[in-house]
Amino acid sequence: MPLIETVDLCQKYNGHDVLKKIALQVEPGEVLSLIGPTGAGKTTLLRLLDLLDTPTSGRIYFAGTEVTRSGKTRSETRRKMAFVLQKPVVFNASVYDNVAYGLKWRGITRNELYQRVSGILETVSLSALRDRNARTLSGGEIQRIAIARAIALEPELLLLDEPTANLDPISISRIEKLIANIIHQHKTTIIMTTHDMRQGQRLPNKVAVLINGEILQTGSSRDIFTSPHNQEIAEFVGTENIINGVITTSEEDLVTINTSGKIIEAIADYPVGEEVCACIRPEDITLANSQAPSSARNSYAGKIMQVVPIGPLCRIEIDCDFSLFALVTGRSVEELDLVRGKTIYATFKATAIHIIRRER
Amino acid sequence: MNEIWQGLLEAIKLIVSLDPEILEISGRSLWIALSSCLLASVICLPIGGLIHFQRFAGKRTLISLIQTFYSIPTVVIGLFVFVLLSRTGPLGGFNLLFTPTAMIIGQMLLVIPIVLGLTISALSGIDKVIPDTARSLGAGSFQTAVVVLKEARFAVTAAMIMAFSRAISEVGLALIVGGNIKGFTRVITTTISLETAKGDLELALALGIILMFIALVINLVLNQLQTR
Amino acid sequence: MKRLIYYSASLFVILGMITSSIGCTATRLKVATTTSLYDTGLWSHLEPMFEEKYKVELDVIHAGTGIALEYGKRGDVDVITVHDKAAEEKFITDGYGVQRVPFAYNYFLIVGPPSDPADIKGLSSEEAFKKLMATSDGIFVSRGDNSGTHTKEKAVWENAGFDYETVRKAGAWYIEGGKGMGPTLQMANEKKAYTLTDMGTFATYKSKLQLVPTVAKGSTLLNVYSAIAVNPAKVPGVNMDTANNLISFLASPEIQKFIGNYGIQEYGIQLFIPSAGVKSTQ
Repeated sequence: MPLIETVDLCQKYNGHDVLKKIALQVEPGEVLSLIGPTGAGKTTLLRLLDLLDTPTSGRIYFAGTEVTRSGKTRSETRRKMAFVLQKPVVFNASVYDNVAYGLKWRGITRNELYQRVSGILETVSLSALRDRNARTLSGGEIQRIAIARAIALEPELLLLDEPTANLDPISISRIEKLIANIIHQHKTTIIMTTHDMRQGQRLPNKVAVLINGEILQTGSSRDIFTSPHNQEIAEFVGTENIINGVITTSEEDLVTINTSGKIIEAIADYPVGEEVCACIRPEDITLANSQAPSSARNSYAGKIMQVVPIGPLCRIEIDCDFSLFALVTGRSVEELDLVRGKTIYATFKATAIHIIRRER
Repeated sequence: MNEIWQGLLEAIKLIVSLDPEILEISGRSLWIALSSCLLASVICLPIGGLIHFQRFAGKRTLISLIQTFYSIPTVVIGLFVFVLLSRTGPLGGFNLLFTPTAMIIGQMLLVIPIVLGLTISALSGIDKVIPDTARSLGAGSFQTAVVVLKEARFAVTAAMIMAFSRAISEVGLALIVGGNIKGFTRVITTTISLETAKGDLELALALGIILMFIALVINLVLNQLQTR
Repeated sequence: MKRLIYYSASLFVILGMITSSIGCTATRLKVATTTSLYDTGLWSHLEPMFEEKYKVELDVIHAGTGIALEYGKRGDVDVITVHDKAAEEKFITDGYGVQRVPFAYNYFLIVGPPSDPADIKGLSSEEAFKKLMATSDGIFVSRGDNSGTHTKEKAVWENAGFDYETVRKAGAWYIEGGKGMGPTLQMANEKKAYTLTDMGTFATYKSKLQLVPTVAKGSTLLNVYSAIAVNPAKVPGVNMDTANNLISFLASPEIQKFIGNYGIQEYGIQLFIPSAGVKSTQ
């Protein structure tokens, strides 16, 4: 039985559809990452799941019981969950009291309260600051308090809304470690949102893509990154090469696509004449100075238009009648002497191409 | 000008010598003003919370109306309470006119708009995420309201200080519903008014200074409480 | 700690409410007295004497005669001591009061600047007012508050043959202060004006003023203080028995003597002439 399930969940705001027929199932112990651009409706969905707001239509089940509207069940169910809101605010009280609030509301004895809070503060490395007013702490520390007071409740379901938004890289990695720890040790069911698709990939084991109020694809992070269902998802998950074309031949899972006069071969099954996009991840493209005889069927000569370093890597823009982005190491740039204006051969395997039907 | 110096000297003399009558009057002023403010707070904090948290038609109008009552003359409230509590009035049977209780009721009515209005402004100054955070951590509606009030405690204390200042400094109401009965309903302000009528300006000024002194002490105590 | 303070504060308030409610049970006797009797300090001497003798809490509420009568009508006080004969008689005919018992009297004074710009010194009150009206040479400050003193002033104007409404509009020399007796005296002092005052208040203020008694003659200026118990038949709930005790107390020879001597030591003049048992001509 799923721990939480939604059926046709819709939310309207001023006549505008924020969420459209959301159907979500999260099993106990599962970790789901909701990814999607800003404004896609991620926060709205989490607020509905935490029963803070009431949906316009649709139902929510928690451990098999419908909890959508009945006031009493709602507040009881809410106490089985904990929600770290996107903008973490701390109460104007000590760090200790901030973490203790939720436990106090649950009527926990003084002794147990002390032990639980102290333990949690230890976990999030905030013991030294326990008597400080929480308002005086840094953004990263405040986020840690927010997570601490949520996990102190030992919730069955933990909802995290953009837990690392607006934090510095060190704080981000600390928070991610903390979340990884929770997943590892407590086996808590978690639903978290992020607009940072890499975080979605780093942390959870299941990803749902929410764009424009609709869940467009659910699956393992690998599925979503390599085989996005449509162009929008592909763009969001960072598939930089999305090349439009038409299927010209199709036989036994091998298709050829005509794009700007060039032919691309790919492993897929689409009928001839279908308008498609070919998605190629930039790291799957290899560059060479000469046309190497290789098993790769797709090899194109092109002129280097731009070389942009990104951390240890370089992003190379090549014009081979269609625009192609490749991601190579800095070392390769030196060895191959990749400079602007130079002609180069770009090669990618037929299996590296993901074909999506183009929507009209 | 000479009267002011005399008044100051007299005030110091009265404070230092712990004049029993002055002590009694000051104590009564303090007690009546504090009681009325505490009662007003007990009534207004929940109502203020209710008005703040509920959405309903005419909310803005209601708040404007409450704020209008900030400036109601004390004499008008005094007359209202007088008519209410007078033996022939609707609540005459309680026999409360010319008692400290009547003064507490009157001052409470006087400061209710202040406490209510300023509580609502205090609450609207609180981050909207606070109540959501509380609820998400499992707080019920009442617990949420308490959290928000706690967050607003500085502004709420300021509201109480305002209310206390108005209560302890008003004279019109205290005279009308209290009657300035010696040893029973006589407070600092009514004594000032009496001494002025009797022409003892120095004593009147001295009492004024003592009243300010009491207000200072109370403000210090309240400020101390809120910073904890 | 903080919680303790809050709890003790609430306890304090609740206890206060209870005790103050207990404090106002029927054992208290309420008397509304005219300001001029109160401001002279007479009541602060009489109060403990009465309380001692009858073992009753006496609440003295000082107010103008008009308000004092109103308190009586509403049953908010048990006894009134006032000085406005016409109003008192109406109070009794309307059934609110039982009997009017005069217990002291004195005279109203017209006081003014020593220079006496309108030259009214030694005249009777009516003549003085006629002269003020005719010459406009002096400023006159009126209480203008329907108090006993103000009523007295109106009576003098009527006796002098003027309609009070025309007096009010007579000119800039006629000022309606709208204040109590003390502040009115101070106002007259500042403006070097004449005013009508009761003797008691003038005595207590004398040392602060440059004003001197100018007119003290005329039967109209007679000022009689009387006590009236509120009638329980008309106003239910008032404390008639204790009220009568207070009236007998005021009329008792011992207290009459005290009233007669009151103020001589402090102000150098006799403020009140005892009148209990004396058949008043007024």
